[in-house]
Amino acid sequence: MSQTESQNIEQATTSVATNQPDAKTRRYDRQLRIWAASGQAALEASRILVVSSSATSTSILKNLVLPGIGHFTILDSTITSPADAGNNFFLNARSSIGKLRAQEAVPLLRELNDAVQGEAILKDVSELLATEQGRDWIGTFSLVIAHNLKKDTLDELSTLLWANPNGPPLIAVRSAGFLAHFHVQYHEHCVSQTHSENAPSLRITRPFPALLEWARSLDLQNMDPTAHGHLPFVVILVRAVDEWRKSHDGNLPKTREEKTEFKRSILAMRLKPDEENFEEAEAQAWRVWSEPAVPSDIQTLFSLPPLATSPHHNATFHALLETLAEFTKDPSGPGTLPISATLPDMKADTKSYVQLQNLYRDAAEVEKNHFKELFAAKHPEIAKSANPEEVDSFVKNAHHLRVLRGKQLGAFDKDRDALVTSLSLQPRETATHLALSALSALLSREADITVDALNAEVQTLLGDGVEFPDELDAAIGEVARAPTADLPNMAAFLGGLVAQEAIKVITEQYVPLNGYCVVDLIDSWTGVIG
Amino acid sequence: MAAAVAVNGTSSSSDWEGRYYHVDQILDRPGPRTDPSFLAGDEVKEFLREKCKILVIGAGGLGCEILANLALSGFKDIHVIDMDTIDISNLNRQFLFRPKDVGNSKAIVAAEFIMNRVPGVKVTPYFGKIQDKDEDYYMQFNLIICGLDSVEARRWINATLVNMVDPENPESLKPLIDGGTEGFKGQARVILPTVTSCYECSLDMLNKPTAFPICTIANTPRLPEHCIEWASVLEWPRVHGEKKMDTDNPEHISWLYEVALARAKEFKIEGVTYSLTQGVVKNIIPAIASTNAIIAASCCNEAFKIATSSAAYLNNYFMLIGTDGVYSYTFEHEKRQDCPVCGGESLDVTISKDWTVERLIEMLVERQDIQVKKPSLSSPGKQIYFQAPPQLEQATRPNLEKKVSELVPDGGEITVTATTLPFNLSLRIKYT
Ligand SMILES: [Zn+2]
Repeated sequence: MSQTESQNIEQATTSVATNQPDAKTRRYDRQLRIWAASGQAALEASRILVVSSSATSTSILKNLVLPGIGHFTILDSTITSPADAGNNFFLNARSSIGKLRAQEAVPLLRELNDAVQGEAILKDVSELLATEQGRDWIGTFSLVIAHNLKKDTLDELSTLLWANPNGPPLIAVRSAGFLAHFHVQYHEHCVSQTHSENAPSLRITRPFPALLEWARSLDLQNMDPTAHGHLPFVVILVRAVDEWRKSHDGNLPKTREEKTEFKRSILAMRLKPDEENFEEAEAQAWRVWSEPAVPSDIQTLFSLPPLATSPHHNATFHALLETLAEFTKDPSGPGTLPISATLPDMKADTKSYVQLQNLYRDAAEVEKNHFKELFAAKHPEIAKSANPEEVDSFVKNAHHLRVLRGKQLGAFDKDRDALVTSLSLQPRETATHLALSALSALLSREADITVDALNAEVQTLLGDGVEFPDELDAAIGEVARAPTADLPNMAAFLGGLVAQEAIKVITEQYVPLNGYCVVDLIDSWTGVIG
Repeated sequence: MAAAVAVNGTSSSSDWEGRYYHVDQILDRPGPRTDPSFLAGDEVKEFLREKCKILVIGAGGLGCEILANLALSGFKDIHVIDMDTIDISNLNRQFLFRPKDVGNSKAIVAAEFIMNRVPGVKVTPYFGKIQDKDEDYYMQFNLIICGLDSVEARRWINATLVNMVDPENPESLKPLIDGGTEGFKGQARVILPTVTSCYECSLDMLNKPTAFPICTIANTPRLPEHCIEWASVLEWPRVHGEKKMDTDNPEHISWLYEVALARAKEFKIEGVTYSLTQGVVKNIIPAIASTNAIIAASCCNEAFKIATSSAAYLNNYFMLIGTDGVYSYTFEHEKRQDCPVCGGESLDVTISKDWTVERLIEMLVERQDIQVKKPSLSSPGKQIYFQAPPQLEQATRPNLEKKVSELVPDGGEITVTATTLPFNLSLRIKYT
């Protein structure tokens, strides 16, 4: 975790008088170290609708109530069956049988966390979908999650939510025995806090003026040997690149021979053979080989076609993205993404490391201010209303931004070419997905679930003339074995996976799933398709 | 069992018609990938629900989830061991505990909760250490699931179960299912002691614990962590002498924080916070309910498949990364022939003829695939260096300065022992 994030946690939750955390921080300590106070605030502001109170649904909710979402609603008119009482941890076993399932589950979920509100709405979702008032109500949540919902009802729900790009995303889950899949439906999801583990560029080949000045000012031959042995590798590399360019028409080392020679030039700067900082500089020389002004995945974002139905809440992100593109082209700027203030640790003494850190911090501040000027000039209205923390976070994470464009639930199943291609590239994932889609269709028609019926349904999805791989037989056979089984272990597994995705969607941190996640608990794998 | 009687009004059976509707769909018939040896129907149900005895090690983040999943899946004779008591920071994920339980035994509270919620299941808690129990104890179980955050405890149970295997007695081979999580990441694996790769075989896959060189801490601090380590490793013993630091004591953490902060100010280093101080000195691993749920479910699913043969079990490693979409990787981790626990061959170590015993010890401590603190060394019939008792330490201390090559011939063996190592590690020394 970066320093600013931990300070963020600290400021939000530490009482100033004692500097010891309060009860809430202590309770949430292990998760605040992951998504910080900003992620926690987003969770606490969220309202989640879960359609059904099956074992899988309550497992998902458990993992959202524990970290502290604001509010949940279970929409379910089902009466608890003996089977429900056997596989659902959030029912009172036999004594819940015959009672309303949602009403039984809500208190057992709420007792997990006093800070979370929850309610049971004892209606069937199709009832609500039938009235305008009901449809509007569904649109008021931050996220909707549905498990094993009948296909026609689910289609209606997904169409309703898709029609309004500003409405809640939908996570739709289908499970049968050891097999399952789930899909996250959103038009567009933008993330600046991706928590990428890739280190951003230190801009060694494009040093900012103060850094270049430092590297050039060094009298390497005559300086104090202790200081020489503690020069940070960044400064050494900047110096080595500068000298290399002078003797190579301004070019960087390209061929293998040149790269070897460049490394040798670093080691040749040593005063003594055991100077570890120069060894580190040699080991870090790869940073020089390829240091694009703008990494290609960020460059791609600059030319994303605008979405006809871009959600309102992404407007600021897109304005920032446009500003970023301009920033990289602005002649008075560095010609790159804004520099990151965070340095990795390196072999150095305190003084030179702190000096280097301050240089980077100052440079980052200068570039951020320049960015903000451009932002205000280009998007005066948005810049005025934008949350300053969002802007800071965007600039800080400029190297790791992500924009995901989603599909409507079911769009994949309507695209035969995509299905056939996917079946040849990822046979086991696609076969499992198709078998579960076929099951949904059959259950919705209340048809018998047999291998033959499933095969026929898959054939309808794929079209004629497509040969079934062995993986399809395996998946269809398994679905036919346990078509309506909500196994406790699968429910718990999905409970975790779906809650992870819900948290990522709500907090706008980390990168959520795009498409279908397919799960097979026989061979214990997961995969992503669509 | 009072809870079951109260709920059911009958002590003969706590089951009800349709209770296992979901699980029975799997147990009543095979699937296309099920092994032909699977005995669908009553026999397998009877084994699972009447005979199978399973041990859960750890009643924390993974343990709570594991107990609930096993109970719902139909395991009815479950034992659980945990030496910890409940802390407020557990409540964001250890869902069997409530604020009123803080300070009580995790194993006991968890067992009671499960028995109340899932009638007919017997959970036997043990509030103590796994090392308190002997081989006879572990021999009584069909399966063992481990949800621990301590590397040391996992190495111990792994070595114990490998040692227990008697080729003449198939019952002595206890499948060990191990789970672990960190943030959005985790892994589950199935270990068949002596047959598959064991926990020790994969020690080098663990994240290297961040250890900062003492000279950095003392002389050239750069990061806030260096200042915190200075406060806890150097300043605490200097100021407090023999008084032990208690990382659960907020006053101790506050003291460390203040001292670290003062040092950071002196060196103009930014970023020392209370929360970071706590994280560094307690080696806190971030943890959330959802990741624990995934990994615990995977562990219990493997236990269910092994106990019932209803489907093939994991061979042998499942790794999940949820930070960027849903990524997972299932693979067979290979057994290491030179694994000190299950490999049988000694570990080859090639060193310079000039190396002193002290240098060799330093190397052993640093090696990620060995992970030993304070090792004692001996060669056949010869004590090289012993960390304890004090008399022996004193007697062998002069050897630290000697060259290894003066004490051990080329190709000779050195046996490494340590209190943190639940086995003897044998090295074959070669010289360059
Ligand atoms: Zn091994």
